Amino acid sequence: MVKQTPDVGTLETEMNRGFLHILVLSLLENEMYGYSMVKHIESLGYQVEENTLYPLLRRLEKNGWITSRWDLSTDRPRKFYSITPAGRAIRASLLDIWKAQNAILDRVTKMTKITGENSNGQ
Amino acid sequence: MANNKLEAYLEEISHYLSGRAEREEILNEIRSHILEKAASATGGSPSDEAIAQAIAALGPARRLAERYAEDRPIIAPAYKRYLFRYTTLLFAIHTVLIVLAVIFKESFIIFPILFVPQLSPFDAVLYLPMAFLADLGLVALVLYFITQSGKDIVLPWPKFGLDLDEVKPPRRRFWSIFGTAVGTTIMLAITSFCLHLLARYDTIFLYLTRTKEPRPIFTAEAGHYLSILIIILFAVSTLALAIKLFTESRWVDIVSNAITLAIIGLVLRQPFDNLFAINIPDGLLSWLKPTILIVLLIIAVATAYNLIRDIVRVSRHHLQK
Repeated sequence: MVKQTPDVGTLETEMNRGFLHILVLSLLENEMYGYSMVKHIESLGYQVEENTLYPLLRRLEKNGWITSRWDLSTDRPRKFYSITPAGRAIRASLLDIWKAQNAILDRVTKMTKITGENSNGQ
Repeated sequence: MANNKLEAYLEEISHYLSGRAEREEILNEIRSHILEKAASATGGSPSDEAIAQAIAALGPARRLAERYAEDRPIIAPAYKRYLFRYTTLLFAIHTVLIVLAVIFKESFIIFPILFVPQLSPFDAVLYLPMAFLADLGLVALVLYFITQSGKDIVLPWPKFGLDLDEVKPPRRRFWSIFGTAVGTTIMLAITSFCLHLLARYDTIFLYLTRTKEPRPIFTAEAGHYLSILIIILFAVSTLALAIKLFTESRWVDIVSNAITLAIIGLVLRQPFDNLFAINIPDGLLSWLKPTILIVLLIIAVATAYNLIRDIVRVSRHHLQK
C-alpha cells in the first residue's frame, strides 16, 4: 500500500476542525440560520464548506452546546441556531487553549528566527 | 424540474442516512439551505440553475451523508484490527472442524456461531469460502454492536504468540539446522525401516516370538491399512523436516499438520473390535481401548492447536502486508 503524503489542503482541513468549533460558537452568540452563517463567515474573509458546516452544527447541538428552532413564519422555513450556557463554557475553554497554543507558536517562531540569525551570523 | 432535482438529491441522501433517527431533520436542514442559497443567487424565486449550483456546492449525496455519519463509525477504529484477528481465528477453527466433518462424516454444531454439515471433500472445498464469509460477518456484527454500545470494552486476544508484534522471527542458528538435519536423518531411517517391514511382512506392527519369528499384532487387513497410514505420517514428517532445512515458511508446518490431523482422523475411524491378531485378555482390552483413544485425541488436539496457530500467524502476516 502506497502512503500518500498529505498536502497543505489536507493539513488545513485538520487545523480547521478546532478553529471552526470556536468560530461557530463565537458567531452564535447572536441567533443565526445556516446560510446567513455561511455568508457572514465569507464576509470575514474565510471560506467554510457548506457540507462541513451543517454536520458540525448537528454535532454541536447533539453535545448541547448550541440549540435550534425552526422559523416557519416566512415562505422558506429557516432553522435558527444559538449558543447555550454549556456552549459558552466550552467556547471559553477552547479560546484559552487556542490562545495558549498561539503563544507557544509565537515563542517558537521567534526562537527559531533568533537561532537562524545567530547561525547565519556565525 | 428544479424541484425534481432537489427531491432526487434529498432522496439519495435519505438512502445513505437510513436508520438514523434525525434523518428527516437533516433533510429539512439541507432543503432549507439549498432553497435559501438558490433564492439568494437569483434574488427571488430560486431558479433551476441556482438550485443545481447549490446542490453542486454541497457535493455528492454520499459524501454529504458521510459527513453526518462521521461521529458514528460502524466499527470503532480501535476495534478494526480485531475484525481480521477474530475472523482469522474463527476461520481457522472452522477449517479444522470442516476437515474433521469430512473425515468422520459427521456434522458439528457450536450453537449459535458454527455449523458444519456432513461434507464430502469436494463439498468442503466449496464450503470453505462460505465459512469465511460467515465468520467475517459474525465478527463484524459483534464489533458493530460493541461499537454502537459506546462502552470502552477491552477485547481479549490470546497471548500465545499470535501477535505479529510479539512474534520474533526465528534466528537461523547452526544447532537449529543441525538438529533439523539429525531429525530428518532419523525420520528417514525410521520411514525406510517401516517400508522394509511393510514390503516383507505386509505390516509394521510386529512382535517377536520366543523363536525370534516376527508375528503380526493386528489382523492382516487392519495391520496393512494402519501401517500405510503410519508410514505416510512418517514420510510427511521426514519431508517437512527436509524442507525446513531450506526454508522457514510456516506453510510447511500448516500442510504437515493438516495431513497429520487427517491421518489421525483416519486411524480413529478404524474399528477397534477384532483388530488384534493375538489373544489379549478382556480386562486388558477394555483398558487398552480408551487409553489408545485418549492418546490419539491428545495428539489430534495438539496438532489442531498448532495448525490453528500457524494459520492465524500466516494470515495475519499477509494482512499486515
